[in-house]
Formats: sequence, structure tokens, C-alpha cells
Amino acid sequence: MAVANRQAGLAPAPVATFWQRHRDQVFPFFFVIPALIYVGYFAFYPAADAVYLSFQTPIKSFTFFNYQYNVQQGMYTWIENTLWVTAGALALQFGLALAIASILAKQFRGKMVFASIAILPIGIATVVAGIAWNQILPGTGAGYGNSVLALFGASPVYWLNTPSGALAAVVVADSWKNTSLVVIILVAGYASIPRALYQAAAIDGAGPLRQFRYVTLPGLRSYLVIALLIRGAQEVNIFQLAYEMIGSYPQLLTVQVYDLYASGEGVYLASSAAAVLLGIISIFIVAVLVLGGRK
Amino acid sequence: MTDPAPSSDRPSVRTPPRAPAPSRPVRKWQWSQVGLYAAVVAISAFLLFPIYVIFLLAFVPQKYTFFAARPALLPPSLTLANLQAGLSTAGSPFLPSLYLSLELAFMVGAIAILIGIPTAYGLSRLSARLAYGLTTVMFVVNMLPSITIAIPISVQFIKAGLYGSPISIALTQELLALPITVFLLVGAFQGLPKDLENQARVDGASRIRAIFGSLVPLIRPALVASFLLAWMLSWDESTFALILYNPSNPPLAVEIFLSATGRGSVIEAVAFSFVATVPVIILVVILQKYLKGEDLAVGVRG
Repeated sequence: MAVANRQAGLAPAPVATFWQRHRDQVFPFFFVIPALIYVGYFAFYPAADAVYLSFQTPIKSFTFFNYQYNVQQGMYTWIENTLWVTAGALALQFGLALAIASILAKQFRGKMVFASIAILPIGIATVVAGIAWNQILPGTGAGYGNSVLALFGASPVYWLNTPSGALAAVVVADSWKNTSLVVIILVAGYASIPRALYQAAAIDGAGPLRQFRYVTLPGLRSYLVIALLIRGAQEVNIFQLAYEMIGSYPQLLTVQVYDLYASGEGVYLASSAAAVLLGIISIFIVAVLVLGGRK
Repeated sequence: MTDPAPSSDRPSVRTPPRAPAPSRPVRKWQWSQVGLYAAVVAISAFLLFPIYVIFLLAFVPQKYTFFAARPALLPPSLTLANLQAGLSTAGSPFLPSLYLSLELAFMVGAIAILIGIPTAYGLSRLSARLAYGLTTVMFVVNMLPSITIAIPISVQFIKAGLYGSPISIALTQELLALPITVFLLVGAFQGLPKDLENQARVDGASRIRAIFGSLVPLIRPALVASFLLAWMLSWDESTFALILYNPSNPPLAVEIFLSATGRGSVIEAVAFSFVATVPVIILVVILQKYLKGEDLAVGVRG
């Protein structure tokens, strides 16, 4: 082209430089820089630092000891417990949130009141929710949960006396606190499904269950995926509620990090458990990148 | 009620006034309605019960709640003693903690808006690919485990002499608030007509003035929503706060956490926090109409 221009005796056509091609991008990018510096310094740098510290001894030499120590102390069990809580809480939250969002998609008397009740737990601080659930499902055979059971003549339950019982109690309490966020996202998802699809499905003879399976679920798919990623990562990170309800038995990864940090056994041992936690979260991060890239 | 049963024994002359009766089957309870309300009642009971328990713990004498083998489901009597114990200035840590928590919450809200506006504006004007990449970065920040990040930060802050200062706690809590603020505000900026900014600039406003003079006022509802959301996230946050607090004055969430895990009175904590929670619950109900799921979910849809 340039050759053709020269042959025609014209000035070379201006080739757009990098600057010219991206000029309209530079100005908006300036606005993003403060946030990037901030998250770089306060999120990504400390995350990398935690991984670095996990391979350090107090006298700053390289070691695998921190990991070996935690494996000996039962790290695989902590991971297993964390994954059970995550899976259980996701199942309960999403079941409940789907039910609530399905109800809120209908018109009925008292809908606004129910919508308000559905988001109320957001207003209760997690630490306060922890106290309430501690009084509802304690390990002592007392508590409000057993008061309710007594109404039906059932004998008292020692909710926290087995590891699985304790983890299940955490799952219920956590789901109570966090279902609201999933509801908010799924309500938006329901609003995005055209009503006509339901009418068409009804004309084709699909009952409520088949409508749910073939209209609602596909329509909610992207919303469900986002909510699952957000909540999944947060469930792995569950800390205050679990610590208040069950302490260190059975142990979760986050609680172990805190125990090691708080007991003065040093940031290095704590960092190795924290780095493993980061490793599990990075599965969710990779899922975000893969799902985003596939679009 | 005004149509008592004996009327049916009367002669058929009385039947015409009952003509509306045939229309009643239309309004009869359908089983799907019964199921709907049964589900509404059951779910509401589950969601309200712990809040009711907090109320009982706060306002019922402890012998019927905390120390009872079978805590009373209906209050046998009410008392303000728990709250008074929590509020009494002698040795009560809750009031200074409340002030600190309020300070933190307003700081986190303000910083979220200050950094959120330029970031969201930038993202809404960048090419789709770049914006998507940066949004993903914010999304990842939201997923990082607080406790993993908090430990190296505490080491850094101790070195820098910032450990325990309110601004240092606020800046870590901001990690939770900023991504959601940015998602909410990007949605708001994208909802504005593209020409608005150009018009302001044609009228002679500089680009910065065009943004702050004509765009920002239009996204006020989203600004209110993100400020309140950031405020609440800080109010609720206790992991960063627990690692980074100043022992002489912890934030309220940490104070309650320490009380609940055996270093204080749980009941005083719960009584105090119930009172402190009521305004937040009211906030949530107000916030409800601003809180849009599609904005919170913008992270992945890009």
C-alpha cells in the first residue's frame, strides 16, 4: 500500500501508531489505576506474601517444614471438613434460594412482606447470628432447637456431639445467614426469563416441575453459575460463624489458620495453612477465568 | 356471618338473595395456593426464628434463656437488665466499640465511593475486552480468603507502625466492599446514554467536569446503594478486624466475637448488639429496592 502510494506520487498513508489506535482507551484507563494499585498492594501482594511466608522459617531460610507440620497435625481432615461444609452449605442455600425465588416470581397477597423477610438475615451481623445459632443448636442438649423439639414431644438432641453433626449445624447456620444474597441474584435471574416461555411450555402440556426443569433452570443458568462461584469461595472462607459455634472441633482450615496465628506458633505455620486455603480458592478463580473465556 | 345457617331451613323464597353463592367456587382455595402459603410460612419461620431468639436472649431474664435447660419459647417476663449491663459505662467495652465500628463503616463507605466512581467510569468507557479483564480482577479480589491476606498485612502494618489504626482496618475491609461497589456503579454508568458526556463536553466542560457535573448526579441511586452496602459489609466484617484490631479498642463485631467465644458476657453482647442491629435491619429493608441482583452478578457476565 505504501509502495502503491509512492508510485502514485502521494505522501505515505498515515499508519496508525499504537498510541493513535488506543488513544481513546488511555484516558479511561487512568481512572482505573488507583483501584489497581490499591488491590495490588492490599490483596495480591499479601496473597503472594502468604505463599512466600509459608516456605520460610523464622530465621528466613527456605523450608517445607510448615507444610509437613500441618499435614502431621491433620491438614487433610481440615480440608475434608472445609469441603463438606462448602458442599452442604451450597446445597442447602441454593435449594432454599431457588424455592424463595420461585415463590417471589409469583403474585400473591403478602409478597412484599415475604420479600422483606427473605433478605432480613443480611442485616444481622455474622457474629450475632453465631450467638443466636449457638443458643439454638448447642452441644449441651439444651438450647432453643430442643425447646422446639420438645413441643413435638421429641427427646433432646446433642447437636454438636459428632463431627458430622457439628458440621451440619454450621451448614444450617451459615445457610440461614447467606441464602439472602443468592435470593437477590436469582430473583434478578427470574426477572430475565420471558413470561412467554412459560405460556408456551404450558400450552405444550408441561406441568410446574417440567417448566422448572426446562424453562426456569436454563434461564437461570448464568445467574446460578455466578452465585455458585461467589458463594462457593465464601463458603471455603467461612470463619467467624464456625469458630463461634464449634470452635476447633471438628477443625476447619480457616479456623486452623487463626488458631496457629493467635496461639503465637507463628505466622509461618499459619501461612502454610493459609496458602492451602488460597490453593482451594484458586480452583474457583480458575473456574471464573475458564467460564469467562468460554463466552 | 350475617347469613346464619338456619336460613337454609327457610322456604325456598329465601334462596334468591343467596345468588352470589355459585360464584364462590371460583374463589375457593386451590391446592397450589395452600402449598404456596405453607412454603411461605415454613421458610419465614426458619428465617425469623434466629432473630426472635436474639430478641429473647436480649430481653428475657437469663434464667429463662441462657441458663435454662429448656429455654422458654415465649417470654415469661421481660427485662432491661441485660441491656443495662451491656451499656453501663463501668468497664463496658461496647460503647467505644460501637463508635469505632461506626467510624470504620463510614470510612469504608466513603472510600468505596471515592475509588469506585473513577474505577467504574473507566471500566464503562474501556473496550469490552479490557473492561472484562479488569472486572475479573475485581471479582478475584472478592474471592480471596480474608484470613490468608490478613496475616501478611498484619506483619506489614506492624513494621509500618499502622497496626490497629482505624484507617488500616478500613483499608482491608474495603477489599470486600470495593468490588461490589464497582459492579454496581459500572451497571449505573452503562445505563446512562452515551451522548450525555459528549454533550457536556461540547458545552465546554472539561472531561473531568463532564463526569462529575453531569454523569455522577445521575447515578445517585446506585451511589446510595453502594455506600450503604459498603457500610454494611464493614459493619459485618470481623475477620480482618480480628487480626488487625487494637486490643485497647476493638470494633463492635470483634468485641462481640470475643465475648461469644468465652472472653466476656455473651448475653450482654447480644443485648447490646440487638439494639445496634435494629437500625441495620431497617437499612436493609430500605436498601431492598436498590439492591439489584443483575448488578451484583455483573462480575462474570462482563
